[in-house]
Amino acid sequence: MERILHGVDAVSAFAGKAFAWLIVVLTAIICYDVAARYLFRAPTAWAFDGAYILYGSLFMMAGAYTLSRNGHVRGDVLYGFFPPRVQAGVDLVLYFLFFIPGIAALAYSGIDFAQFSWQLKEHSSTIAGGPPLYHFKTLIPIAGALVLLQGVAEIIRCIQCLKTGEWPRRLHDVEEVDVEELKKRVQADPAADLVPPGPSSEGAIT
Amino acid sequence: MKSGMKIGIISLALVIAIILVVFLQTKNITSGHVGLLMLALIVVAIMLGFPTAFTLMGLGMLFGYYAFYETGQALGDNRVFDLMVQRTYGVMTNDVLISIPLFVFMGYIIERANVIDRLFKSIQLAAGAVPASLAVATVITCAIFATATGIVGAVVTLMGLLAFPAMLRAGYDIKLSAGAITAGGCLGILIPPSIMLILYGATAGVSVVKLYAGAFFPGLMLAALYVLYVILRAVLNPKVAPKLPESERSTSFLQTLGILLTSFFPLAILILAVLGSIVFGLATPTEAAAVGSLGGILLALAYRQLTWERFKEAVFLTARTSAMVCWLFVGSALFSAVFALLGGQEVIERWVLSLGLSKFTFMLLAQAIIFLLGWPLEWTEIIVIFMPIFLPLLGHFEIDPLFFGLLVALNLQTAFLSPPVAMAAFYLKGVAPPYVTLNQIFAGMMPFMVIQLVALALLYAFPQIGLWLPEVLYK
Repeated sequence: MERILHGVDAVSAFAGKAFAWLIVVLTAIICYDVAARYLFRAPTAWAFDGAYILYGSLFMMAGAYTLSRNGHVRGDVLYGFFPPRVQAGVDLVLYFLFFIPGIAALAYSGIDFAQFSWQLKEHSSTIAGGPPLYHFKTLIPIAGALVLLQGVAEIIRCIQCLKTGEWPRRLHDVEEVDVEELKKRVQADPAADLVPPGPSSEGAIT
Repeated sequence: MKSGMKIGIISLALVIAIILVVFLQTKNITSGHVGLLMLALIVVAIMLGFPTAFTLMGLGMLFGYYAFYETGQALGDNRVFDLMVQRTYGVMTNDVLISIPLFVFMGYIIERANVIDRLFKSIQLAAGAVPASLAVATVITCAIFATATGIVGAVVTLMGLLAFPAMLRAGYDIKLSAGAITAGGCLGILIPPSIMLILYGATAGVSVVKLYAGAFFPGLMLAALYVLYVILRAVLNPKVAPKLPESERSTSFLQTLGILLTSFFPLAILILAVLGSIVFGLATPTEAAAVGSLGGILLALAYRQLTWERFKEAVFLTARTSAMVCWLFVGSALFSAVFALLGGQEVIERWVLSLGLSKFTFMLLAQAIIFLLGWPLEWTEIIVIFMPIFLPLLGHFEIDPLFFGLLVALNLQTAFLSPPVAMAAFYLKGVAPPYVTLNQIFAGMMPFMVIQLVALALLYAFPQIGLWLPEVLYK
């Protein structure tokens, strides 16, 4: 069972990490656009459409990845104090009550939405000959399906936790606040080369 | 821990009691009341701890299905599906929210540039002669670093590792030290370029540029009040912040300047360039954020801190944080549309107008509600769920949504320092020496929370603190 769960995690993470790189592309094309406008006096026509397509794709496709790392914001006022079994029980009920209807509806409604756009061969109308939008719109049902799949994995995790009384472990990934890593960084960086020599600085910071 | 749970359970019971009382007293239940029920359920669900984005989507979907339901229609033929996908697509093409991943990326890159210890060291040397110089340097370092990165957890943790031991070793009061780090670390939420103001701008339809211009001085004012408080404490009672021995603070002017030049100025100039280009209309927030990210990359390269591994981490973290914020927005876009559709908004508006409040009492009431919501909820939830309810009321009382936004942003600062969900306290506790208790940290945060309320009152009494800059620039 753990292999299936980690397999689903891996699928979500693969999609999320692949689309995460769009931030680099987004940064690059906006910087290019700024340079083109101010330095060369030749603004690009496609940067506006390109930018929101990259941004929208990025966050939609990272939804499942974020869920697989338990990264969606949740109220901590009670949850953090619950024992694991209660947490899992509450989560399990609410996954069926809120998550499945919401995300299934998103995936379902996205199919029609994308289909229609494909039929029209829809292009952006902000500029003449704007970029095609049907690929972009197709990401809605795909992202919905990925989040739904990850949700099923989370439901299985809840059931496992209800049985064993502790949360199944997750694959390691980079964390926003990784205390060990931060400790290493603070110590590994020798501030000595910055600090003037002599007795003045010693002992102020370790 | 126990007391936190108690607060949670009490507030949960309170919400459920209010639901029961309202519904038992109402004789004819209209769809507007169903909307209110939806609002009450969201509060209950958030308190139970289910991911807020999915709670919003689920409740929006279920209540929307009910609102659009016509007898005899097929199961998949409800108009709520159209609404859902339209709202989602609206968020995907939102030209305000697009700057969020870029600012987040800039933040992670700068955080990984690893400048905080140089920054702290240089400011500490520069502030050497000031009373409580370590605490003053802490607040200023926090303010700059938090402004550049916007990542509360990382700032508080890093300062907890760097400044906290330094202050304790120098004999500083534990509470004062803890308060300076936690309060300072949260300043990045208010001082532009902050994600909170983007989110408010997107929700309220207020220009982010004006919000940034408006929040600049209130943010500085708050930081200055923190510094003032720390100095005042040290002057009144030197025991809480003993002077450093001469050997640890005396450097020549040139040495101090040299360190400042390599650590303080590059980061300060980067922030000011990003902010300045936005405020003076040279670049949109999106463009400034992209160029700021590039600047952050160059800065990290210049400090020789940008490894491929760290760059990759910043990219992945950016995706997760952006997804967290934007999926929340997808959920709230559907939720608030359904809430308005059911007429929940009208019920609230009618009720508020029937109270016959003056502008002042309405403002006081609104800020008090937001302050109280900040105890159990996070600022993201308050902005995306509750702002759409307050905003239509502003017109009735002739309140400028820009000014309201500045007050809200300042007000929500308190949400970070109010137990039991004050994340800053837990981050600090995670790296503090074992003898420092969570209660000491909370106690240390309290005076700073009072300062925030003072700042809020000052901004209300003198709106020009916030409105002067946007008025001068965008006449």
